Formats: sequence, structure tokens, C-alpha cells
Amino acid sequence: MWVANGLSQDLPSGVVMAGNWQGAELAIWRSVSGRLAAWGDRCPHRGMRLSHGFVRGETLSCIYHGWTYGSDGACSKIPAHPTMVPPAAIKAEVYQCVEADGVIWVGPAGPEADLPDLSGMVAVRSVSVLGDVAALTRALPGFVADGALWRGQVGGVSVSLVVQARGAGLGLHALCGAAAHRVAVSRWLDGVVQLVEQEALT
Amino acid sequence: MIPAAVLNEWYPVAMIAQLAAWPGRQTLLLGSEINVFRDAAGAVVVQGADGPLAVTLAYGHVWACPGVPAHPLFPIPEADQPGRRLVDCGVVRVKCSPLRAVENFLDIAHFPFVHTDVLGAEPHTEVGRYEVQIREDSDEVWATKVHFYQPQAAKSAAGGIVTEYMYRVAAPTASVLYKTCPNNADEWDVIAIFVQPLTEELCEVWPWMALFDDTTPQADLIQFQQMIFLQDRSILENQIPRLLPLDPGKEIPTQADLTSIAYRRWLKRKGLTYGAQMVAA
Ligand code: FES
Ligand SMILES: [Fe+2]
Repeated sequence: MWVANGLSQDLPSGVVMAGNWQGAELAIWRSVSGRLAAWGDRCPHRGMRLSHGFVRGETLSCIYHGWTYGSDGACSKIPAHPTMVPPAAIKAEVYQCVEADGVIWVGPAGPEADLPDLSGMVAVRSVSVLGDVAALTRALPGFVADGALWRGQVGGVSVSLVVQARGAGLGLHALCGAAAHRVAVSRWLDGVVQLVEQEALT
Repeated sequence: MIPAAVLNEWYPVAMIAQLAAWPGRQTLLLGSEINVFRDAAGAVVVQGADGPLAVTLAYGHVWACPGVPAHPLFPIPEADQPGRRLVDCGVVRVKCSPLRAVENFLDIAHFPFVHTDVLGAEPHTEVGRYEVQIREDSDEVWATKVHFYQPQAAKSAAGGIVTEYMYRVAAPTASVLYKTCPNNADEWDVIAIFVQPLTEELCEVWPWMALFDDTTPQADLIQFQQMIFLQDRSILENQIPRLLPLDPGKEIPTQADLTSIAYRRWLKRKGLTYGAQMVAA
């Protein structure tokens, strides 16, 4: 199953962020040349979260002892032993990570053909909201959910929300059918967050 | 059930200088509520639900044993050495296993990345060979001949210097390090951490120092240690799993981790499993 982990625009080159896939915590990062990767959020050395690490060129380094990993997840450098070639067994846990139509998707493996079709849509913005799918359903009458993808109309423009479970809440990744409506849809999204959080309390 | 081996050890529970009358310091030790206070006669009492605990006062701190003490509290002979300044550095609460806090204290390879430009700096990241032993006579873990390049070992130094360290695990949640002393070539500065295990995943860390340093203001010394420990906290609260793995699992140590390996082996051999996990995961 593919899980949306954000919008491409939220993850610039040289940046790492936390993500998830079905309860597994992830580090998702983009190399300086733009390559995307998603790994288990746990350094094979001593378990530090890799999402706290730093990107240099085409590598991600752990913030604890600086162990450095290439885009394939293999450890290429152990700073405490600069002349040692790290054994091939030292490898981050690699997930499949792709982006399509401005959305970053993570899956265990599988054909990209199964990605939801969002062609023609433009990315608006991602938000986090404290609430569950039931609250979201009450807050979004008229929207139709197909798995994690919710579609509807807002002020005459089509809107897609890709929903991601995020701890006690949800991540909502919004796209719309026309670039000219991005500001209006972004404002509408603020209202949705408020509504969901009110609904979640009732 | 907490193993007797764990209950029969000494743990720090308060700073002597901060003691007050009942109810005093209300805190947790190994998950149980305790009060640390001075009674009407001025004696220090550590009160648990089932009565008072065995108490020792040493190194600026109150130490308590919830079981039957297996041995006296470990010695730090330098504490009584003339000319040393004893410095209490307050307390830092960390949401991590007490054992992870000690293991981090024993680690030098993180200096360039976590304490950048203070205790270490790239490209001086190499950890050379050092010696580790579990000393049978004192039943302590020791690492000696540890050398590391430090960019700011002394404020006056124009460049970095190589500092020599010795590390010592003297109790399951207490460790002492000896560091070459910038102000006295024949002596070692002594820096310790005393870790109070509140629960298996929550601890309070009391740094304590015995230094040859008459000039640096107390506030500066404390602020320096606090800064170092706050940097360590950002690591300790983000390690997975929360409990310290005592069996080889998903973690891969290298030669630089020999002290950590010995510490885990020593804990396991002694059955000191509070804050540890036995099953590899
Ligand atoms: S835990 Fe990542 S490099 Fe040590
Ligand atoms: Fe540190």
C-alpha cells in the first residue's frame, strides 16, 4: 500500500524529515542532486533517529556518530574509523519512495501504476490536524473517499486531499485543479483543520 | 518484579545542598515514590512506601539503596584530595533509560557531531585503540588510554590538543571520567554523572566535578556542563528502542564501542536489567 508522506515542495534538496508507513517510523530525505529516499528511522549503529541527521551531497549522515549512508542505504563511512571500509551488512532499512504529481509516496515495494491518479492537479499545502477519519468525514460533507484519497469541489474547483495517519492525528496533503485557486484552497484548508479539531472534541 | 540485584545497588536521589524538611524532595526511584528530607534532628531520610531506605551521603549527593546493600558505595578518592574544587551541576531530566544515559557518557565518538567545536570537530573523528577491562577486584568497568582531539580543551589554547581520558563505571547508573587537566600536568580532572533511575524510561542526571581550577567562576562551570548535557539529551530522547539492548540485535558496534560493549556485558552478567531489554529487537 502506498502512503502519502507530504508534498514534493515541502522537502527541498539537502533536507531530511520524519515520515511513516503503516506504523513504521521513517526518515525521508532528498539529496543535493534531488534524489529521494525513505528509510527506517533508526541508525543501524546505536538506534538514533536518522530523521535528525544531516544531508551532505548524495549522502545522509546520522547526527550521533556521523555514520554516513548513500542513497541505496549502504553505509559508506564510519568517522571513528576513517580508513575502514564499512562492511556491506551495515545498511539502513530501505523503503520504496517515489513522487508523482507533487506528492511523495512511500511503499514497501510494488508497481508505481498502483499510485492514485492525481494528474492535472497542483499541490497546495500540507497540514497536520488532531482528529481522526470520522471527524474528517463530518467536516467534509460532499467529499468522496477512495482509500486515502478524498475528492470534492471547493468554490467551483476540484480539490484532492491525500490523507496520512500521523500519530494521534492526520496529515492532509491538499491539491487542486487550477493553480489560480491555490490561495483560496489554502484558506479553505485552514477552516477544515478547525472543523476537524472541533468535531474531534464532540 | 525488579530483580534483587537491582534493588541491592546504590542510586543517587538528591543533592545534599538542596535538602529540606518533610516532605522534602518527592521523587521516584525504580518506579516507586520516595521522599528525601531532613528529619527534626537534621538526619537525612529517604522514605519509601514500606519504610526508610538505606542511605549514604557522598560526593554532594544522597544515595539510597531500596534493598539490602550488596556492598558500600564506590569510592572516589579524588573527592578528598586537597586543592580540588567540588562542583555540583544541578540536574537534567531525560526521557530515556538510565542505562542509555550512562552509555552515552562513556562514548567519545559522538563528540565531533553532538558537541561540535567544543569537545570535538571534524575532520578529527578517529577513535584510536584503547583498553577496556572489567576489573574483578573492584567489580568495575574501566576504559584507559583513550585519546581524542579536542578543539577547545582550554580557552587560551590557540589550536586544539589531544586529551587523554579514563572512564570508569562504578555503579550501574554512575560513571566517573578522568581527563587530563589543563592546569595541572600531574593530575586528572574528575567529572562524574550520577543517574537516578526514576523509571525504566525516565531518569535524572546529576553531573558532578572535582577539578583543579581556582579561576573559572562556578556559574560558568555549571553552564558549560549543562550545555553539554542538553546536547546529549537531544540524542538520548531519540534512540530506538527506548530500553538498552543487552543482547546483540539490530545494533552494530565497532572497535570504538568497546566500553559500551563491556558495560552491557557487565550489566547482563550482574543481572542489572532495569532499563534494559534482553530480547534482541
Ligand atoms: S547511532 Fe547513528 S552513527 Fe551512531
Ligand atoms: Fe555527550
